[in-house]
Amino acid sequence: MSLVTAAQALLNGLLMGMIYVIVVLGLDLIVRGTRIINFAHGQVYMLGAYSFYFAYAIWHLNFWLALVVGAVAAMILGALSYIGIFSFVQRRFIAGGTMSFRLLTSAMSSVGLMMILQQGTLIAFGTGEMGIYSPFPQFIALGAVRLPAERLVAFGIGLLTCLGLYLFMFKTKLGKATRAVCFNAEVSALQGINTSQVYLLSFVVGCGLAGIAGGIAATIFSVTPTMGTHIIFMAMLVLVAGGLQTYKGIIVGGIILGQFLSFGYQLFGGLSYLYSFCLVFLIIVFRPGGLFGEVYD
Amino acid sequence: MRSMTKWRIPLSKPRLIALSVIGVALAILPLVVESPYILHLAIMALIYAALGMTFSMLFSTGLISLGCAAFYAVGAYTSALLVMKLGLSFWLALPLATMITGVIALGIGSVIVRYPGAPFVLVTLVLAVVTQQTAGQVELFGGWGGIMDIPSPSIGALQFTGKIPYYYLLLFLFGMIVLVFQALYSSRIGRAWKSIQLSDPLAKAVGINAYRYRVSAFTIASSAAGLMGSFYAHYFQTITPDITGGWVSIYIQLYAVLGGIGFYILGPALGASIMVFVPEFLRLVEEFEPVVTGILLIVLIVFFPGGILGTLQKRPRFRLANLSDRIRKIRRWISTGAL
Amino acid sequence: MALLEISGLSKHFGGLVAIHELNLDVFDGEILGLIGPNGSGKTTLFNLVTGFHKPTSGRVKFKGEDVTGLRPDQLARRGIVRTFQALTLFRQSTVFDNVFNAFHMHYKQPGWKAFLHTPSVSREEDTFKQRAMEILDVTGLTAQKDKLAGSLSSGYCKLLAIAISLATNPKLLLLDEPVTTLSPDKVEMVMEVVTRVRSAGTTVVTIEHNMKAIMDYCDRIVVLAHGRKIAEGLPREIAKNERVVEAYLGSMD
Repeated sequence: MSLVTAAQALLNGLLMGMIYVIVVLGLDLIVRGTRIINFAHGQVYMLGAYSFYFAYAIWHLNFWLALVVGAVAAMILGALSYIGIFSFVQRRFIAGGTMSFRLLTSAMSSVGLMMILQQGTLIAFGTGEMGIYSPFPQFIALGAVRLPAERLVAFGIGLLTCLGLYLFMFKTKLGKATRAVCFNAEVSALQGINTSQVYLLSFVVGCGLAGIAGGIAATIFSVTPTMGTHIIFMAMLVLVAGGLQTYKGIIVGGIILGQFLSFGYQLFGGLSYLYSFCLVFLIIVFRPGGLFGEVYD
Repeated sequence: MRSMTKWRIPLSKPRLIALSVIGVALAILPLVVESPYILHLAIMALIYAALGMTFSMLFSTGLISLGCAAFYAVGAYTSALLVMKLGLSFWLALPLATMITGVIALGIGSVIVRYPGAPFVLVTLVLAVVTQQTAGQVELFGGWGGIMDIPSPSIGALQFTGKIPYYYLLLFLFGMIVLVFQALYSSRIGRAWKSIQLSDPLAKAVGINAYRYRVSAFTIASSAAGLMGSFYAHYFQTITPDITGGWVSIYIQLYAVLGGIGFYILGPALGASIMVFVPEFLRLVEEFEPVVTGILLIVLIVFFPGGILGTLQKRPRFRLANLSDRIRKIRRWISTGAL
Repeated sequence: MALLEISGLSKHFGGLVAIHELNLDVFDGEILGLIGPNGSGKTTLFNLVTGFHKPTSGRVKFKGEDVTGLRPDQLARRGIVRTFQALTLFRQSTVFDNVFNAFHMHYKQPGWKAFLHTPSVSREEDTFKQRAMEILDVTGLTAQKDKLAGSLSSGYCKLLAIAISLATNPKLLLLDEPVTTLSPDKVEMVMEVVTRVRSAGTTVVTIEHNMKAIMDYCDRIVVLAHGRKIAEGLPREIAKNERVVEAYLGSMD
């Protein structure tokens, strides 16, 4: 493997990793904030991608504006799903029941949503792949290596997103309230925090992250109807490999998985899922909680 | 307390009668129904019911597994390969495939069961998807076209032809699964499972090794799925990677929840029967099927989380009381000559 | 040799030190009170001793055997059992089933026989059913036996928690706030059960905030603050101990 190829694979891996990280951060925010596992998260990501595509390639909006459209579309979908479905599911949580029953209800309702959205996308857009002509077709030279500008831009957007998320969660009042609710919902309610608002917010922001990730993905990869199910699969692996309830785990897990797929692409052929799963399985055999997480016993 | 010298059947009389009726109905079904198509549906209903029961078994320990379909496929492919590549007889391949599935389940289960709730669901879904992709990509498993022309079983010189012998074989296997599962649930093993489901920390605090019981449930349930898979392979005689994967696992979950998640045996049986027979009457455009299923899932969870049996359980006294009340009121009304 | 010997026990959660180098002995047959302001590490200590958390460092010895880091169910089988502060019960089961299920680790008949529902297994189950009824009687829960645990008032819930732990036949019983929020007559009832349990041979360590209960029923008291032991001794002595008073007052800021 030449230096050029290696550098490209590295960048690619970082990019894929970052997309995974942003998606998983969104999913993690939703789970921590509302205790709902949104299996439809992948479809939200896909909506972000398709929205960006339509905004940019069909309606010819400005590149950056199109990205915003992607994120906003995802957030609207998030708000609708929460208000229409998950808020009712949450009320059942409060009514009681075993942990597993609550998990079942959130899983099933989001799976139902996933099915609707997935099939809806297939019906509306067909099974074809679509891609855009990047507004950044140049190459930037770093020493002997030429890196595509479009990927560097995507990477930059991703970093900005993470920074934005960090600033929001740690520096704004709303963000701090969200973190409080994530930590302990009852106590936060007692302290006067409007928990229903925070729930909705966590859900919407989480979906927004997925939407941005989808937009980023649309700028450099192609937009396909299977990208939703693919990304949720990867997100699950990242969560399991990195460990739950740990940001470090998400980031490291995402990067590792991204690099693994990027470098191993040639070797895997069509068996990428199997190899990824084996990698993650190995990780959890030796570190049951994932790399940084803690587990039951 | 009386001392027991006889075996105790944990069933009340009316339930025993109801079950016998169902049992007899199932037994004479092929004699009454002519259409092989309906028999096929019945066979699939039984298979799906059993798969739903595997989901329920795991739920009884507090685990939600979307990986039941994975072991179904493992059983199917293993059995097909044992017969076609190693030349074993079906009657040997069936138990062998079940055992192999069980061993694989034990290996995977021992590792993933440590994960609490949410990630466990994810990992099992990953299992189902990985199994599907592997089955589709590997030459040995026939690629995406799958394995075809799997030979039908034979007893001596008699080959299984038509649906009827398969039906009775399946009925026997299904009956065994139901008996084994029920025996487990009503024993202290089932009680331990329930304790773990209701409160994991308390169960541990009273000396129940939650990990070991969960792994047992995982292994037993997955073996049953493998058994059904093996049967299916030789019944349908073609297996493709489509028999597993994300969607199938979700449907399995749906059978259990539709019937009633609290009813580990009857729930999936009811749910599977409805899901198998009803769509035939609806004849939906194939495209919309997942959309409708998705809507059904959501409606179910939001309005009827107990499923059919669960909702009925909360209502029946209500209804019966209302009914007798109404009858009394009408009688009184009539007798006072208000008519 | 003390029944329970804790030496150098520490627990760190990331940057937070919950327990710091704790040394504590619990003697056979005593009722030991564990008090301290909120956040002093009492429940964490219970979690460490009963296997729900793994210590960062230190040792726990029970009857001379090193039991550091064992699982909760392993410790339960050795005779260390706890109750929970939050109302952790089998809420969707009846009161009777709650207690009956707690006999689980005492079954002598092997699992496969349980599966086959042999007569010997039925006999064993009947024995435990009888003992469950006895325990319900001792804890005053007989009238509630068919109610769902989730529908009980908090007083009965606490009694049920103790009943469940009694079914395990513990050698060392760790009670986490057994009488907090209970009315005085219920408090007396519970503490009477505890005293009777001690007379039957069980050693008890109880976390409590109800000072009267502690003073009346405990043989010895240990005071924790900020994860450290700051005082240990007879109830009278502790009541007069300045550091203890300070710790409680200080925590009220």
